[in-house]
Amino acid sequence: MAKVYKDLREFLTTLEEQGQLVRIKDEVNPEPDIGAAGRAASSMPNGPAVLFENIKGYKGSVVTNVHGSWQNHALMMGMDKDTPTKEQFEELNARWDKYPVPPNVVSREEAPCKENVITEDINLFEVLPLYRINEQDGGFFISKASVISGDPEALDDFGRQNVGTYRIQVKDKDRIGIQALPMHDIAVQLAKAERKNEPLPVAIALGNSPLVTFMASTPVGYSQNEYEFVGALQDGVATDIVPADTAPHLLVPAGAEVVLEGYIIPRVRVCEGPFGEFPGSYSGSRLQCEIQITRITHRTDPIFENLYLGMPWTEIDYLMALNTSVPLYKQLKEGFPEVKAVNAMYTHGIGTIVSIKPRYGGHAKGAAMRLLSTPHGMPYAKIVIMVDDFVDPFNLEQVMWALTTRVLPHKDVTMIENAAGMPLDPSSYPAGMTTKLIIDATTPVAPEPNPRPVELLKDPVGTAKYTEIIKGLIQAAEEE
Amino acid sequence: MKCPRCDSEQTRTMVKSPVGDVWEVYVCEVCWYSWRSTETPVVLEKFKLTPEKITELGVIPPIPPLD
Repeated sequence: MAKVYKDLREFLTTLEEQGQLVRIKDEVNPEPDIGAAGRAASSMPNGPAVLFENIKGYKGSVVTNVHGSWQNHALMMGMDKDTPTKEQFEELNARWDKYPVPPNVVSREEAPCKENVITEDINLFEVLPLYRINEQDGGFFISKASVISGDPEALDDFGRQNVGTYRIQVKDKDRIGIQALPMHDIAVQLAKAERKNEPLPVAIALGNSPLVTFMASTPVGYSQNEYEFVGALQDGVATDIVPADTAPHLLVPAGAEVVLEGYIIPRVRVCEGPFGEFPGSYSGSRLQCEIQITRITHRTDPIFENLYLGMPWTEIDYLMALNTSVPLYKQLKEGFPEVKAVNAMYTHGIGTIVSIKPRYGGHAKGAAMRLLSTPHGMPYAKIVIMVDDFVDPFNLEQVMWALTTRVLPHKDVTMIENAAGMPLDPSSYPAGMTTKLIIDATTPVAPEPNPRPVELLKDPVGTAKYTEIIKGLIQAAEEE
Repeated sequence: MKCPRCDSEQTRTMVKSPVGDVWEVYVCEVCWYSWRSTETPVVLEKFKLTPEKITELGVIPPIPPLD
């Protein structure tokens, strides 16, 4: 049974034991120090989480880069920290099949997130050491929250309850802006509430166990509940949740550091942004929704967990790497069992590589078109590269080999114009419209002609043996 | 106090530092830009706003018709 963390604190303890968390005890300024540390840590090989214990003018602590390296990602799953990325992908795939694992609903008294309650004179700055992440951000952003909302037409339908990550700008002591893009689940729920001019209750959980945060940023089906996936990814161990106080139909992680409760103000849009976004550029100002906070519950001495995002790769790229790849793989595999692996790690799947053993001519291209019509692939996937089953899509040297030796551009490159795109992709124009690109880098299969079939090179006999001999010689030289 | 982004004078102190009297956070009630007294905001020209520009910004998500 893999190691499972009940909450963020347990995970931070493990990260520290494994040398994957550092503490900064000296006093720091909120700007630019915390953002700069998040940038620095995520750029380092084996980047650790960074815990700031003393922030000028604030009471509490901030932790950043918690998911910001493959080592931390492996530890999140209870695996050895040096587990290769492809093995982490395969382990996630195996655990995914345990869905659904119903969560455990605990009583209010059992839930650490209810230790303290604030209902009057709400001031987010008293609870959270808020800071500007990037210089041109329009304010202080909460970048790693799990936002819980329900379907107004089916409040008791647990499956349709959504746990998602959306960017949040602090607008006032008790009011925040939220970005709900039309393709996101929360926008579906909001539209139903706004048609009746009703507020949409929300609960915002900050500082969660690492797989809750992971699932909140995973694209799953509208009627699939994220907590049931957390139990699956925790290798069958149910996650603890508790009803929110102001909207008991919303279930929040029992171990959350902080829970903000409130509602989206209906039919109101207010200036929000800019915000440095995951494609590595600022998204400009827009008129977006606002949330009125009416209640805060929090653990004693809460830790504010937030992430840095900027020019890839940063923490958000690690967080959204395999949790984008696995659902796309699962959705594709349903109709195309020949698919071996999906690497959708590039800019949240805008760039995706699929390995497949095509059965007939055009089969790989057909699979690419299926990918482009999955719920996430429709707006996000823009450049799809199809490679043979023996190419590891997580090994970019191998992918480049496939592109350089398998592709005859006039027949293997396909463009589909006027298609759905990701508005934050600055090349989409107008924002949200794009051209899809499919590159079929698989070896032609009949009836597609393959007029110049080749014999692929194989490793000489003895290569494995010599790998060990050479390693041994290097080791011996180092020990001298 | 003028907003560094839209030059509006409709600004106010949003909060003071919870510990000590070491900073304040200000907010503009026209464009909702906020900044801390310890910062020296330099808003790039492309991100500057005016009341007219604000009314022309994209609406996300669109507001649906009432039932």
